[in-house]
This record gives sequence, structure tokens and C-alpha cells, in this order.
Amino acid sequence: MKPGPAERIWLLLIGLTGAGAWLAETGQAGWPLTLVAAGLIAIKSRLVIDYYMEMIRADRRFRYVLFAFVTIVSLLVVLSHSWGDLLRRITTVY
Amino acid sequence: MDLSDTPALASPYPASADTPDRIPGNAGIWVGIFCVLVEFLLLFGVYFVAKAHNPDAFLRGPDKLATLAGVTITLLLLTSGYCMLKAVEAIRRDARWISLRWVLLAIGLGLGYPLVKFFEIRWNLAHGIDGEAGVFYTVYYYLTLNHLVHLSWGLLGLGWVAARTALKAYSAQSHSGLEAAALYWHTTDLIWLAIFSLFYVLR
Repeated sequence: MKPGPAERIWLLLIGLTGAGAWLAETGQAGWPLTLVAAGLIAIKSRLVIDYYMEMIRADRRFRYVLFAFVTIVSLLVVLSHSWGDLLRRITTVY
Repeated sequence: MDLSDTPALASPYPASADTPDRIPGNAGIWVGIFCVLVEFLLLFGVYFVAKAHNPDAFLRGPDKLATLAGVTITLLLLTSGYCMLKAVEAIRRDARWISLRWVLLAIGLGLGYPLVKFFEIRWNLAHGIDGEAGVFYTVYYYLTLNHLVHLSWGLLGLGWVAARTALKAYSAQSHSGLEAAALYWHTTDLIWLAIFSLFYVLR
């Protein structure tokens, strides 16, 4: 039986989770791991938003709010790696 | 010419779900979803500030966590979410009993989450990982248990729509309640995907 759109998205999400599991066990701290972790959040979340939540066919404003959440989290992952010192300084209470 | 009439180009979504500018679910669930997203965005902010102040703790922290538990929860949630997608698809065809079976399957898989969490916490405690084991684990417990609370609300919602589906409250024409429960359930997926990467993958 040929998988339908929902089955293909599910299989893709499971595959990406497998990649995340492999990284969790073998990944070393650094830029590559940070970028891949941020990318996995962004890609998997977008699949959930567009296909599980069916926002690809819905009001764009609602879809963009969900994208904004995912984008902010993914960006924070990257920024916390490169600008951790700055974040520490601006959140230190003297 | 309307290309959507051509079988090869037909949308995978039924006409009722294929209207541009459509807002799935209902207004109430979207208020709830946006509140949950803002809440977790603030909690993720706590994670990043704590990480900036304690980089070593966040570098070593994930090594002691049970990756298998995190992966199992991810698989359970994604598969449960797939079941809710199929439940909504089924009700749009007026296939109530098929829809009910998908909702019940989603609930069954969703119940696996607290079960796995129970064994994960037991494993953690056996390995000395409690809320006072370090700042990484304090944030880990706070965020994951908070997510578990939200997921429990989602499970209650799924139980409600399962009962309503069994009582024939939904049809192809009217099923916004089922859609709303599915949307909230997918939102818990969305948040877990970030939690999984932050605590189990990222260093």
C-alpha cells in the first residue's frame, strides 16, 4: 500500500527523531551540533505546524505566529552558543 | 479552469479544510494555544539564561539523562499526533467510528508519556539525579514536568472529544471541537520537540 501524505510526514518526523537520537548519543559540543539541533527543531516543528495542524491551508497570520515561536526558539539555540557571554552579562544583577 | 478538479493535482485535504484564511478549531483553543506558547517561550528564556550563567553544567548535564526515555516520548507524541490527524480526516468523511478509534489510539499512545516519565524519573533518582543535582537538572525537571501538566490537560481534552465522538456529536459538517482538541495536542508535540533538543541533544 502506498503511504498517503499523513503517513509520509509521520515517517519523515520519525526519521528526523532517529537522527536526533543519534546526535544525542554521539554529538560533541560545538557549532555543528548547535546548528543541527536548531535545524531539527525548525524542520520538525514546521512539519507539525503545516501538516499535523494543517496550517499550510489556514489563515496565514495564525501560521506565522506559530512559525515565530519556532524561529525564536531555534535562533535562541544558535545565539546562546555564540553570545552566551553577552547574555550572562546583561542578566547579571550587581 | 479549476486545476483542483484534476485527480493528479487534487489537494490531499478535503474541501472543508481547503479554504484559504480558514482558522481551524475554535477561538477559545487559539487563546489557549497562544498562552501556552508564550508561557513556554518564557520558560525557554529561563533555560538560556541559566545556560549562559552555568555553561559547564549544561555541557555535561545531557550525558547523564536517559536518551532512550526522551526518544520514546518523542515517538509516542509524534505517533499520537498522527492518530489525531487521521481522526480529523475520518470525521470529515463522516466516518465517526473510524474517527473514534483513531482518537482512542491517540489517547493510548499519549498515556505512554506519563508512564515513560515515571520510569525515567525513577531511573534518574536511582542515579542521583534529583532536583538538587545541579542547575541543569532543576531546569530540566521544571520544564519537563510543566510540559507533563499541559499534556495531561490535552489527554483530558482527547477523552472529552472521544466521548463526544461516541455520542455522535461530531459530523463532517460540524467538528470544530475535535479539531480544537487535535490542535492543542499538536501544540504539546511542538513544545516537546524543542524540549527534547534542548535537554537531550544540545550541549
